[in-house]
Amino acid sequence: MHYALLITGSPYQTKACHSALQFLTTALTNKEHILEGVFFYEDAVLICNALPQPPRDEIDLRKEWKALAKTHHIPLYLCIAASVRRGIIDEPESQRYELSQHSLSEGFQLEGLGTFVELMNSTSKIIQFR
Amino acid sequence: MNNTLIHLSSSPYSSLACKEGLDLALVLATFEQTVDICVSDAALSLLYIDQNPDKIHGKHLYKLLDGLEFYDIENIYIEQASELASETSIWSGTKALNTQDWHTLFSQYQHVFRF
Repeated sequence: MHYALLITGSPYQTKACHSALQFLTTALTNKEHILEGVFFYEDAVLICNALPQPPRDEIDLRKEWKALAKTHHIPLYLCIAASVRRGIIDEPESQRYELSQHSLSEGFQLEGLGTFVELMNSTSKIIQFR
Repeated sequence: MNNTLIHLSSSPYSSLACKEGLDLALVLATFEQTVDICVSDAALSLLYIDQNPDKIHGKHLYKLLDGLEFYDIENIYIEQASELASETSIWSGTKALNTQDWHTLFSQYQHVFRF
């Protein structure tokens, strides 16, 4: 089965990003099912901010996601409209808005909701974490 | 072709969830996907007529409702048992489902996303 994840819950107010990470860590051991990508929407895009520094004795969720994605070659998309309004901005958007900084962590990419529609059409299941 | 149900349950005035759920519905419809919407819980306040939100309250989402038909989003469901179903002061485009149909609704779609 081909599947994808939609994550909408804030990494600070919910455990959506944590639960999704745990889910994938297990699910990816099953080679019968193929993960096509993960799409972050709503407050879940906050996980892609490169600047927050969690205390050293706590999990760095962004780094964990990046590591998992790198190991398994998972594309991590985030909704560009949801991201820009929350200050998650990549270099091209930074230039477009004439800003001097950008904040998108490497390993993640800004995409329109059209990319999510493509994921829906290329998979048989989307699993939402909220 | 996918059919998708967007379930709005968050208040339009307490977070962006309702707005971003509607945004997704509009994008899906733009990509010619079949989309229905159902509204429950705090999101029901979206349906009250005569809302007059200021900028500080966020976008005037009620105004979006009349435009849904132009995106071919024609089914906006509420549960008959909800107190609002008998109200005359709500948007007239909703379809009220009895409790059994409401529960069945969620198993009729390939995708159900909740906001």
